[in-house]
Amino acid sequence: MGGSLYQRIEKECEEHISAALRSLVGQSPDLVVFLSLVEKCWQDLCDQMLMIRGIALFLDRTYVKQNSNVRSLWDMGLQLFRKHLSLAPEVEHKTVTGLLRMIESERLGEAVDRTLLNHLLKMFTALGIYSESFEKPFLECTSEFYAAEGMKYMQQSDVPDYLKHVEMRLHEENERCFLYLDAITRKPLIATAERQLLESHIPAILDKGFMTLMDGHRIEDLQRMYSLFSRASLDSVLEESFSKNEAFCNTIKDSFEHLINLRQNRPAELIAKFLDEKLRAGNKGISEEELEGTLDKVLVLFRFIQGKDVFEAFYKKDLAKRLLLGKSASIDAEKSMISKLKTECGSQFTNKLEGMFKDIELSKEINESFKQSSQARMKLPSGIEMSVHVLTTGYWPTYPPMDVRLPHELNVYQDIFKEFYLSKYSGRRLMWQNSLGHCVLKADFPKGKKELAVSLFQTVVLMLFNDAQKLSFLDIKDSTGIEDKELRRTLQSLACGKVRVLQKFPKGRDVEDDDSFIFNEGFTAPLYRIKVNAIQMKETVEENTSTTERVFQDRQYQVDAAIVRIMKTRKVLSHTLLITELFQQLKFPIKPADLKKRIESLIDREYLERDKNNPQIYNYLA
Amino acid sequence: MRRSASASKKTGQTNSTNPISYSPSDLFRTASSKASSKEMERIDNQFYLYANMSSGMIDPEGIETLCSDMEVDHTDVRILMLAWKMKAEKQGYFTLEEWRRGLKALRADTVSKLKKALPELEKEVRRPSNFEDFYSYSFCYCLTEEKQKSIDTESICQLLDLVLGSQFRAQVDYFIEYLKIQSDYKVINLDQWMGFFRFCNEINFPDLSNYNPDLAWPLILDIFVEWMQAKQS
Repeated sequence: MGGSLYQRIEKECEEHISAALRSLVGQSPDLVVFLSLVEKCWQDLCDQMLMIRGIALFLDRTYVKQNSNVRSLWDMGLQLFRKHLSLAPEVEHKTVTGLLRMIESERLGEAVDRTLLNHLLKMFTALGIYSESFEKPFLECTSEFYAAEGMKYMQQSDVPDYLKHVEMRLHEENERCFLYLDAITRKPLIATAERQLLESHIPAILDKGFMTLMDGHRIEDLQRMYSLFSRASLDSVLEESFSKNEAFCNTIKDSFEHLINLRQNRPAELIAKFLDEKLRAGNKGISEEELEGTLDKVLVLFRFIQGKDVFEAFYKKDLAKRLLLGKSASIDAEKSMISKLKTECGSQFTNKLEGMFKDIELSKEINESFKQSSQARMKLPSGIEMSVHVLTTGYWPTYPPMDVRLPHELNVYQDIFKEFYLSKYSGRRLMWQNSLGHCVLKADFPKGKKELAVSLFQTVVLMLFNDAQKLSFLDIKDSTGIEDKELRRTLQSLACGKVRVLQKFPKGRDVEDDDSFIFNEGFTAPLYRIKVNAIQMKETVEENTSTTERVFQDRQYQVDAAIVRIMKTRKVLSHTLLITELFQQLKFPIKPADLKKRIESLIDREYLERDKNNPQIYNYLA
Repeated sequence: MRRSASASKKTGQTNSTNPISYSPSDLFRTASSKASSKEMERIDNQFYLYANMSSGMIDPEGIETLCSDMEVDHTDVRILMLAWKMKAEKQGYFTLEEWRRGLKALRADTVSKLKKALPELEKEVRRPSNFEDFYSYSFCYCLTEEKQKSIDTESICQLLDLVLGSQFRAQVDYFIEYLKIQSDYKVINLDQWMGFFRFCNEINFPDLSNYNPDLAWPLILDIFVEWMQAKQS
């Protein structure tokens, strides 16, 4: 009895369902309207089946259960719907087309009925035809859509904007999965979008935009690029086989690393400069957390730099300036950066940097003692405040010795300090680094007294005008003994910039040989204390080049030392093995051609020779 | 005076027990020693014909005269080969000892015999077992200053043409072209010089298919090969 009741219900349902679906055929050319009709049809089915099931619950629980080859009433309804939907293929096809059109509209910025999409896609899922009938064409459509969009936008926009757009699109597609797509579509969908928007354009993106981003210190944009690229390869894990994917993942990372290091030391230099700007005083409105966040982001890029010794050289140079001229925004932030670098690269990398901080702190103590000392109290004229930073050679950058003829008084003060220091620490050698010195001078201008914060070199020049009203460039050069280029820079900063303590004749930006200078009688300024020593913080082109050169020179010594060390141990070694050993031992990037240069240089200097019988082999010459 | 001294030096073992009866070998020995001492005399005489009296050596002028007597251009490679045979140390000069060494080895005690010996000398030098030695000798021969280790590229071009030109025309021509265009290297040292020789002998030219810059080839050759490949593409 259960059986025949079931069959009759089934027959009724079938008739009804087939009629309902047939009625959809040819309905409404407007796809959205059509979809609503489909939705209604489906909704009705669901409601009706639920009701039937409710009424024939007993049937479901007994007859159906006892007969394994009989579907539950609900399933029966679904199966009938599915069957007749497949018998009216144009209905299914039209539905899918309608859905895809709606999604495309939404992608193009129009508002669509998401609930409709949601319900219909749930219908597909319930019917078990989601993957085959919807997802497959949907992914194809998505692929075409983003392929076209990718090309268009790459041509129209610059790289940072393109990447922002990509980020937005990926976010959108992700949202789509929450709003109406089935969760299983998320991964293939994102992968498809990434493939079209990113992967096929990676070479162009890296070519076009990478350098501009690096040059423009666009750290956030670079961060975005990196995170998009690394995601792209992570998501394709599921698409491709594991081994293929690992190679791809590495390719992305490698090409990023390769590109970041193509311009040799530029990235290292730029990152160091960026940090200098952030850590310098004068960064208004940046909170501690923001700064910490920025420092962390910078570290991500830092990991990619191969020539970390270049970074260290620039970072050290800038840190030294900040510490010595008192320009650090926050010592805590400075120390935080050092500890981040330490975690990243080990303590050997940061030893010297930490040593610099120790020197600064120790110097504070020394200056306290100096103030109290007999030398200072008895010999230093009152009204002269002197403080000295004592730097341990080796921790600090190497400063080229700069000659200058100090005025007598300054020499005396230096000697007083030296006497004091050596009485405490005998056996040490002190060398004055005059290029780093700075002073505050009290100046008496007709229009008002001022205090000028100046560099030591500027001081030396200005003090000449205590005894003379007008001096020529050559006079000044003779009296001060300052090197030509440096002197011109110094005079420029005093006579040609914003603050003109001196006047230059003839007027002009550059200092020429037959220029003359006079004390600026008419000098005025709104503030009492005026900074004129900004040039000390600036980096000169020579400084920059010499920093880089020193690193490269240092690398050469390291290579030579490594070659000799290896050959001394091995006595006899083939070329290829020597090269391999060197790459293992050297911590900075170097080309095989450069290694060859050093090897040939050592052959020339008779540290090694080529074996007479086998030119591929080197013999150590004791 | 010297003759007898050298004669007795040569014939180390004289039959002193029976001075009257000489064995055939003794006769031969004495005869040949007489001949060789005569030869030496002639060789010395030739030397003094060309030598500069004050220095006691044949100088560049003397060599030029010698060359014109032999009807050979003084820039001819065979003169260099002669120097090699003599193991001459200083370019443009022959000492008596060197002269003796060379002419004795060539069995030439007159200038005309010397001239006739030149083809044979050339053949000998070009034998693979000798040529590498000759090639390296020709570089060292051109080092004029005491501590000099390298030769300027211009001279190298000339030397290469002289020494290797007939054997490896194509390689030499291209390498010379390269040396003239590039500015990385102003001088060439012995290591690079020998490297080029190995290059000519081992590397397919001009396709350069078996050249591997990862091996111990001198860097200048790596760059030369790159330049060639750029030219060819």
